Amino acid sequence: MIQVKDLVKKYGAHRAVDGISFEVARGELFGLLGPNGAGKTTTIGVLATLLPGNGGSVTVGGHDVAREPGAVRSLLGLVPQEIALYTDLDARTNLEFWGKLHGLDGTALRARVDELLELTDLQEHARQKVENFSGGMKRRLNLAAGLVHSPEVLFLDEPTVGIDAQARSRLLELIGELSAQGLTVIYTTHYLEEAEQLCDRIGVIDKGRLVAVGDKEDLISQIGDEDRVRVDVPAEARPGLAAAAMGWTGVESVGERRKKVEIRARDGGALLPELQSWLAAQGLPLSQLEVDRPNLEALYLNLTGRGLRE
Amino acid sequence: MRLLIVTAKDLRRVWSDRKALVINLALPLLLTFIMGLSFGGGMFGESKISAIPLAIVGEGIPEQFREQVTDALDETGFFAVDWVDSTAAERQVREGDVAAALVLPEDAFARIFSADSLAVVLWKDPGSPLKAGIVEQILDRGLGRLQAGEAAYRSLWPEDETTAPDGPGGMSWDEFFAGDVVDVWNRWRDLGADPTLTDVGDQLLARVDRQFALADALETETIVMEVHGKASAAAADDDSEFNLFDYFLPGFAVFFLMFGVSAGVRDLHRERHNGTLQRQLMSPLSPVQVLAGKWLAAVLQGMIQLLALFVAGSLLFGVNLGPDPYSLLVVVTVTAAAAAGLFMLLALISPTEKIMDNLSTTVILVSALIGGNMIPMEAMPPWAHTVGRWVFNYWANLGFSGVIADNESILVQRQPVLMLLAAAVVFAGASLVVYSLRRRRGGLA
Repeated sequence: MIQVKDLVKKYGAHRAVDGISFEVARGELFGLLGPNGAGKTTTIGVLATLLPGNGGSVTVGGHDVAREPGAVRSLLGLVPQEIALYTDLDARTNLEFWGKLHGLDGTALRARVDELLELTDLQEHARQKVENFSGGMKRRLNLAAGLVHSPEVLFLDEPTVGIDAQARSRLLELIGELSAQGLTVIYTTHYLEEAEQLCDRIGVIDKGRLVAVGDKEDLISQIGDEDRVRVDVPAEARPGLAAAAMGWTGVESVGERRKKVEIRARDGGALLPELQSWLAAQGLPLSQLEVDRPNLEALYLNLTGRGLRE
Repeated sequence: MRLLIVTAKDLRRVWSDRKALVINLALPLLLTFIMGLSFGGGMFGESKISAIPLAIVGEGIPEQFREQVTDALDETGFFAVDWVDSTAAERQVREGDVAAALVLPEDAFARIFSADSLAVVLWKDPGSPLKAGIVEQILDRGLGRLQAGEAAYRSLWPEDETTAPDGPGGMSWDEFFAGDVVDVWNRWRDLGADPTLTDVGDQLLARVDRQFALADALETETIVMEVHGKASAAAADDDSEFNLFDYFLPGFAVFFLMFGVSAGVRDLHRERHNGTLQRQLMSPLSPVQVLAGKWLAAVLQGMIQLLALFVAGSLLFGVNLGPDPYSLLVVVTVTAAAAAGLFMLLALISPTEKIMDNLSTTVILVSALIGGNMIPMEAMPPWAHTVGRWVFNYWANLGFSGVIADNESILVQRQPVLMLLAAAVVFAGASLVVYSLRRRRGGLA
């Protein structure tokens, strides 16, 4: 459905998107992950015909976004990060406006708006001004506005920012339902658990480059299948702990990371009795212990690093 | 015409935003209301404005003519007239005792009723530019009407200029026609033995013919304004009264129009910021349609604002709405179109809403100053007249003043209308160019 090949987007000398390539199949829910400023929104902007690319090619539904933007737009729905609604108008009027822009009118428009209000649990609030909505209600209406013309592809750009756990859960459910109905979705987020829960395939983008792409399981397996147990002990005790741990059952390797001893083992939990015994023998308290199992977050941090991004 | 969907949405948002409505409509009306309380007129009764002191120098002018001039100026309700000699007038102006002094030449009386041009001098008090400006504007228009009326009269009845002033039997015509029909008939009969009776009859019939011709001429639209002007100036009837709001309201209206339209067009930045612009750009509408829809909404918003203000001004303060239903509407339309184009351009060249705010406020204040919204152009220095022509509100003020204050149709006010139309086309065209460039560079996403 979507083919992106060697896409480049520059702002002056800065390459915001630097030779990205990926494909999304019809009906697939593809997650695009990356830290702030990685190039996710810029990539979506080019795919959505809002930004001109500086190199490479992008096709959606067989149409080139640069040469046939009109045909591409007719296939697309966009749910941007921002609440792209007229908050001084009511929910129904908002949806009717977006529907009319896409050529809906009369009975068809009313029926589609009713359907979306029901889908997003907003029937009771159809005539309320959006400015009086909660964050979750606004996010659901934002999603409905992107769906009003029944697009084949939906771009969701961080659609759950700033809402509570219940509202987020409901929104993710909705997106899952839409995907199950055959809608092709590109979902950008930096909430890794959302991507892990929702997406069929994931691409990780950092500094304008696609650093990993594939199925969740394949990607996670790239960082190995060992648990990582990190123990915080005084600096003078670290060499002794490292030496002792190498003799424990199931330990693959031991190292020092961020002033902690990091022990990699097939089952991190099984090490705890031996660790407690060693600490007691040394007369040291157990001040801090972390156990990381292989997951998307571990992969993500492994790929993009732990440094803060502006 | 899907762009109308964008237009309708924007107007609906204006309607739903009560705060914007208060700013765009209620505040100008409130200001007009305060002006009404200050200056009077309409529902506040007849003119209560403090009379502007005006000295007139008319050495050698017959007393009868002086009285007529004084009566005519009194009828306006704006002036406290004092006839003085030139020395006293100059002193009064210099000391600020009067706002202005009108100096009439000794032969003013003769010149007004002859084919010769009349040159008058106005001395203005530089310390009182507003009042002096009002004096100049009103006198200028009054003299203009008088000249136009005289020109029309002379062109209609050129023989009057050669007709002997005396009537039959040594009587003046006024004496001859004094009294009722019987009196006139008797005087005519007494002259029966006089061989000039036939001449008298001919002259009487000729005079009646001219009255009928004048009545016909008054009904002819192209002549109405000129002949009516003569009648007004000569008789100082009700139609010739000056309403101060006719001069001030257009300036205020255009001033607030700029604020209203600027606030409406600034929405382009908010739409870009909150993503609704991007959503519209992803619809089947072309980018040009999106922009045109927003421009049209700003034009209609401006038109509604202006018309509401003028109608309210008419109902509350008796402001004249022009000689016909369409002249004001045409000036309102081209003014709103030019304003919407200008502020759309400013919005598009401004990278952020904050910059747009600062830029538009500067443009509003500067153009209002040099365009005559704050101080009447008559009170502005000569350079301002030259520079003022480069701002659209100068032409808007001129157009509105022509239609409202001078009661002229757009057939007469063609230049301001054409200039405003040209400004609208130039601004809208430039907006489209900037918009296309920004889109191509991704500056709107």
